[in-house]
Amino acid sequence: MPNQFSSPDPLGIRLSGRGGQGIILGGVIIAQAAMYDGLFVVHTQSYGPEARLGSSKSEVVVSHFEISFPEVVNADVFLCLSREAYLKYHRHVSTSAVSIIDDLIATEDSLPNEIFLPLRRTARSLNNEMTANIVGIGALIALAHAAQPVSVEKAIREWVKPQFLDVNLMALEAGLSLIHHKSVRG
Amino acid sequence: MPRIGEDLTSYLREGMMPTVWCPGCGHGNIFRAIAESFRQLNLDPSRIAVLGGIGCSGRTPFYFNTNAMHTTHGRVLAFATGLKLANPRLTVIVAMGDGDALAIGAGHFVHAARRNIDVTAILYNNSIYGMTGGQEAPSTPLAFRSTTSPFGNIEPAFDTVELAMAAGATYVARTTTFDFDDMPRYISEAILHPGFSVVEILSQCPTYFGRLNQLGDAPELLKYERSQTFLAENTPLLTKAEMVGKRPLGVFRNEIRPEYTKEYAKLCQAHGGTYHA
Amino acid sequence: MKLVQGNEAAVMGALAGGLDFYAGYPITPATEIMEQLSRILPSRGGVFIQMEDELAALGAVIGAAWGGMRAMTATSGPGFSLMQEHIGYAAMTQTPCVVIDSQRIGPSTGQPTMPAQGDVMQARWGSHGDRAALVLTASSVKDVFDMTRQAFIWAQDYRLPVIVLLDAVLSHMRENVELPPVPGPMTRQNAQIPENQPPFGSHPFQPFSDSTRTIVSGLSHDEDGMTQGSIGHQAEQIIRNQMADLDRDYSQIVQYRRYQLDDAKWAIVAYGITARAARAAVHLLRESGIRVGLLELMTLWPFPEKTVQEMAHVVHGLLIPELNLGQIVLPLKAAVCGLTPVFFMGRADGELFQPEEIAERIVRLDQKDVGVSTLIGRD
Repeated sequence: MPNQFSSPDPLGIRLSGRGGQGIILGGVIIAQAAMYDGLFVVHTQSYGPEARLGSSKSEVVVSHFEISFPEVVNADVFLCLSREAYLKYHRHVSTSAVSIIDDLIATEDSLPNEIFLPLRRTARSLNNEMTANIVGIGALIALAHAAQPVSVEKAIREWVKPQFLDVNLMALEAGLSLIHHKSVRG
Repeated sequence: MPRIGEDLTSYLREGMMPTVWCPGCGHGNIFRAIAESFRQLNLDPSRIAVLGGIGCSGRTPFYFNTNAMHTTHGRVLAFATGLKLANPRLTVIVAMGDGDALAIGAGHFVHAARRNIDVTAILYNNSIYGMTGGQEAPSTPLAFRSTTSPFGNIEPAFDTVELAMAAGATYVARTTTFDFDDMPRYISEAILHPGFSVVEILSQCPTYFGRLNQLGDAPELLKYERSQTFLAENTPLLTKAEMVGKRPLGVFRNEIRPEYTKEYAKLCQAHGGTYHA
Repeated sequence: MKLVQGNEAAVMGALAGGLDFYAGYPITPATEIMEQLSRILPSRGGVFIQMEDELAALGAVIGAAWGGMRAMTATSGPGFSLMQEHIGYAAMTQTPCVVIDSQRIGPSTGQPTMPAQGDVMQARWGSHGDRAALVLTASSVKDVFDMTRQAFIWAQDYRLPVIVLLDAVLSHMRENVELPPVPGPMTRQNAQIPENQPPFGSHPFQPFSDSTRTIVSGLSHDEDGMTQGSIGHQAEQIIRNQMADLDRDYSQIVQYRRYQLDDAKWAIVAYGITARAARAAVHLLRESGIRVGLLELMTLWPFPEKTVQEMAHVVHGLLIPELNLGQIVLPLKAAVCGLTPVFFMGRADGELFQPEEIAERIVRLDQKDVGVSTLIGRD
């Protein structure tokens, strides 16, 4: 499946999860990375009033051309870190979408194209569950080529606080490895 | 201090006179006291800004030949805060009514005091809304009548001095239009004071407060003011009965606390900016 | 090239426009503007102050303008409602200042993080009385920068409170843009005032200085600021002259973008974030051979009547999508004056119109191809 995905233009990426999971930061990092790759980008965000535990959504549109509509209608790439967000968004994807779902999300409702990966478990193994967003981004770019890994690394260096930089770079590596080692369930 | 007859005209915008104030109104006395303070302190009119809110007191800025703003009801201290911050060289004087300071603008009053910004607020307290025709104010005493408390007021009044002190004003004084010499003395002290200063002046409104409460005309009202107050410095000499229900007059606070524009200048300096307070 | 958020672009645009005073009160989705300025202004020797409410924020801004600083506040719907009295005061006293309103759903608290375009009439008519009004909007991060900077220039030129309308999506949206570097703090010398130049009317704004003795009042006044006597006519004339100034400079002030309109059978009129969906809809429709174009309004007030009228002569109909239940459609219909049907689509649920929805509506119109020229505003 990973190799079948060819990026449409514009490419719509949706990240979702709970407040506190770094969903918005994740979107910003992808947007920044795509910008480093020389593309047009628009990043939008939406969230509830709770900074922690409310639902959170972050969208990036990437294109070789100037972008008209800034939001994602049906995502071409979908990353999800919480059950609530999964139930809300997982069907709003395009027919050929790449959907990367954290494998701790329990569901009997999964769609054929959904790839369940140990994003939070991998982050925990790095002793920082907060980096699940970056693990997910690593997997996402390995599958969907939304941005070059080197650009994502540069974007992480720009946006992540220095004291968390190392663990986030490790999370990116771990995320890329999840795909390259094909530890895929679902 | 200057006596009647000494020249105050360099501070006056005579083209706007006569004033709107009714015969017998205490506001003219306060106005004159402010002018005398300017003169006592030998202030340059071009370095003064007089601001007012809405109501009888709010007309004060029109009569001073300085830069002046007649602003919106209750919000005058917000304008004064912006003006003082933008041009800290100005001596900023604010004329407020009891409605301005204690009702619609009470929020701004307490926050200006909390910030301790170097502005002098002169609160003309006539216990009633004069400009709109005699309605109840948050300073109307219990049981007194107004056009909106025709059966007698059942709301307790604010005590400006206590409110100002609780909020953090660093110079707080109260006097009356009866005590004519104290007005310019306190106003001058307040202007010189580097911080938020409040001078409450109990003023008479014969047109509404006096008439609606059958208290008589200006002279009777001045006597009434006197009967309802006592000098705080006389407290040890007075019996409880002589003080109960009456308001003390005097200077209740005169202390130095960090002033807002000065603190802001320090903040700028610490972060590489230049701001002269 | 930088990845810049809408609110950040507002900050940069304001600094480029000469901002040196900000007073505000926190409110979603405008808060980032004040958070950023609280860091930036002290290091430039400018003034930042968080006030006790929005009335105080705009009051302080007006005070600061008379104190000689270029001043701004930013807010969202509930705060914008509170500011209306002082917008009127700034208009009456001809005080240059800038108000950014990042619109969210209303009425009342509505939904703080969700976009709307429900303040477009309030921005024009919200304060009591009549006044000249200059209201700008934006549909991209780059626009936010340009329009905010422009607002400062026009506030000074026309002595008005200039309002910039953003929305929750635009405020929080990030795009890669090329923006000019932020200029250093400006030192402004007060210009020499010609002897006896009146402080109001058609004269340049002169803040308080050693050589002024200006009396500023929200009461009706003449050019000298005097409020006595029968000045009603003179006060009206000042307002009329301000309106006439805007009218005179229509071609400069009324900014818009024409997109694929030259051969268009149908025109979409849109503004703000909705114009982005409309532009995408034009792409979709052109691909399927429907001749449609977009008039994107960037200046909302003064309303671009002449521009709309010219277009109304040549198209079969107009469609206006708005994130409200029918606001700019009203002046649009007035300007079109029955020359062509005007169709409206509105929503106020916090979602953006999607390009497909707008395109679908045009397709339906095109299929019926108006035997409906008598049906204005319906389909």
